[in-house]
Amino acid sequence: MYYGWTAKGYRARMGSSAARPKAGNDLATKAPSPAGGVVAVVGASSFLGGNLIALLEEDDRTRRIIALDSDARATRSSKTRAYPFDLTDPKADARLAEVLAAERVDTLVHVSFLSAPSYAAAWAHELESVGTRHAMVAARHAQVRKVVLWSQTVLYGAHPSNPNFLTEQHPLRASRKEPFFADKMEAEAEVLRFADRVPGSVVTILRTAPLLGPTVQNYLTRFLSRRIVPTMMGFDPLLQFVHEVDAIAAFKLAIDRNVPGIFNIVGDGVLPLSTVIKLAGRVAAPIPHPLAETAIAVGWMAQLADAPPSFLKYLRFLCVADGKKAWETMGFRPAYTTREALLDFTSAQRLRDVHLLHEPTA
Amino acid sequence: MTRATDKQFDGEEAFIDGDGPDSLSPSVVDGDPGRRLPQDDDDEDPDGHDIEAPRSQAALSDDEVAAKIRALEERLDTMIRRPGALPDADAAPPSRFTPSKTVPPGPDSTVFDTARELLSTEFYMRKWGRLGMRNRSEEVDDFGKDPVYEKKVEPFFDFLYERYFRVECEGIDGIPADGRCLLVANHSGTLPYDGMMIKTAVKREHPQHRDVRWLAEDFLFHFPFLGSFSNRIGAVRACQENAERLLQQESLTAVFPEGVKGIGKLFRKRYQLQRFGRGGFIKLALRTGTPIIPVAVVGAEETNPMLLRIDYLSHMMGIPYIPVTPTFPLLGPLGLLPLPTKWKILFGSIVRWNEYGPEAADDEMLVGRLAEQVRGEIQSMLDRAVKQRASVWLG
Repeated sequence: MYYGWTAKGYRARMGSSAARPKAGNDLATKAPSPAGGVVAVVGASSFLGGNLIALLEEDDRTRRIIALDSDARATRSSKTRAYPFDLTDPKADARLAEVLAAERVDTLVHVSFLSAPSYAAAWAHELESVGTRHAMVAARHAQVRKVVLWSQTVLYGAHPSNPNFLTEQHPLRASRKEPFFADKMEAEAEVLRFADRVPGSVVTILRTAPLLGPTVQNYLTRFLSRRIVPTMMGFDPLLQFVHEVDAIAAFKLAIDRNVPGIFNIVGDGVLPLSTVIKLAGRVAAPIPHPLAETAIAVGWMAQLADAPPSFLKYLRFLCVADGKKAWETMGFRPAYTTREALLDFTSAQRLRDVHLLHEPTA
Repeated sequence: MTRATDKQFDGEEAFIDGDGPDSLSPSVVDGDPGRRLPQDDDDEDPDGHDIEAPRSQAALSDDEVAAKIRALEERLDTMIRRPGALPDADAAPPSRFTPSKTVPPGPDSTVFDTARELLSTEFYMRKWGRLGMRNRSEEVDDFGKDPVYEKKVEPFFDFLYERYFRVECEGIDGIPADGRCLLVANHSGTLPYDGMMIKTAVKREHPQHRDVRWLAEDFLFHFPFLGSFSNRIGAVRACQENAERLLQQESLTAVFPEGVKGIGKLFRKRYQLQRFGRGGFIKLALRTGTPIIPVAVVGAEETNPMLLRIDYLSHMMGIPYIPVTPTFPLLGPLGLLPLPTKWKILFGSIVRWNEYGPEAADDEMLVGRLAEQVRGEIQSMLDRAVKQRASVWLG
């Protein structure tokens, strides 16, 4: 991979005023033209996609936004053009290539991933793993040079042998038997292959910690919105979150600056699971882990459980990533710590608990 | 504000001077010499306003009445000006007078609201969750050490240190007052108490009461309870990344290069140092430019004398071995209690390798030689202390 943008170089160039990158970025392999770039967002209806489009619409540096999703609708601004489009369609690559070429897209943001495990594993595989391949094939065809992919730190896997802070060099060791992780790992491999094959490409992979915040909905918010939260007896791993606003800001940063590479996008600080549950005002129900694994395996098969048994490992062992590289290379600083992200989620969740806040489920 | 007698008044006076929160109780305000309007509020606070005063003294001359009116106007002005002087607390001054002026809100509505809140399970769930935090701090450090929890279990370790093992220290002043430093110690005892005792020793005896983080074996973190407990009191899983991060944070770190081989050694092999891994701690010290202090722990090797080690069942349970001590399988979990031996912790003199740079960490030959040098140092300290010791129990 090409790592032209080193930490030292970054600091030297940005000097003290590191707030905004200069327009004529010499590192840009294909810098956005002064008139503004064209950004395509695959997964425009997802949490990240929707918010990112709203953010890009406010920015003059982006000339046009191409919203791509199965139910993409152009409602927000004249800058956005929506193309209803299904990644699971076998001909998705051809259709996507057509759109990308016609709109002369220079940045492809791929955030079309499920935020919670799905019982429909085959469909999820088509969407995430095969869908990413479609997107990369199309990007190559349409000569898109810049790709930003959403990935997650859970892919590092929870193991007792993990160092307390996993860096980007650490191999992805999440269970390959679990489709939720396997598909995302395949998607990442697909994008890295694109980076290898296309000379001069700028590929940024953002591995976010579990997103938490007042509006985001995923497997974690579902877990913490239960009145009684199951935990593994005798285990109290350290957890790490990133606030939804910080995650969106990281994507914006990756679009604005040309920073090839993989980055962990995490909030500062860690919290033990027991403290997380207490701060959220929930009650922990400790279960011996062999028992819990059996119960949840049966529950998942019967489509009663929220998550497959492989998620239980994250309630026992550590899976915390180091966000140093994102700061040094990309200039990303989270505005919220892990604790603040949790408290922000909790304050919204309290309103949801007493039915004062209603939101459509994601 | 020259009074040095009672400190709590200083804080309150500062509040009043800055026209701070008016929710302060009148008694505090009255007794305070630093406030601006000494008399005004005194006769105002009980009834809110004193319009009756001029009416009752009707026999006053016009001038006197005019003077009184002027004075009242002035007081009104100051009262109006006061909130203006504090732009960000404009809501506060009215609140001071609300108890006397406004009619209390309808009793039924608040009572029912409170009752509903008290009766909902939500309320109790939240209280219960919050109650659990009383022994826990809301923030832990990078490695999960919880200062509040640590404080809570400290008496237990003090007891072990003072009464149970009656630990004696030697050469503890050799530990630098600040900056990164690596304590390299022998590892022993079927259950690793030595890390906690080194930590307690430095916390109690060292002039700066420095905090020691120690690197614990992997297998500890496979266990329920044990892993999270040691994590909260300051143990860190032993690996190069963690150790480097700790040293970069300039902490005092204890390592046991013998590892599982150390705590798993049989009783007949006591005080014979095992192989020092692959010299990882030397590489660490060279790479981070950290000085090393060799440490010998005497007495710990007899706490759980291991006669036999069962290896073949243990893999299934995720532990390195099943110990057989005179008491262990016999008395059940009770048999794992350590014997009350007399301990002595010897801190050697500091070793610095300024002549080698970080690149020396890649020189396997040098690393091996330095590791052997440190090992020899600890072994000779152990031999000396064991020879001097008259009794295992009394030292």
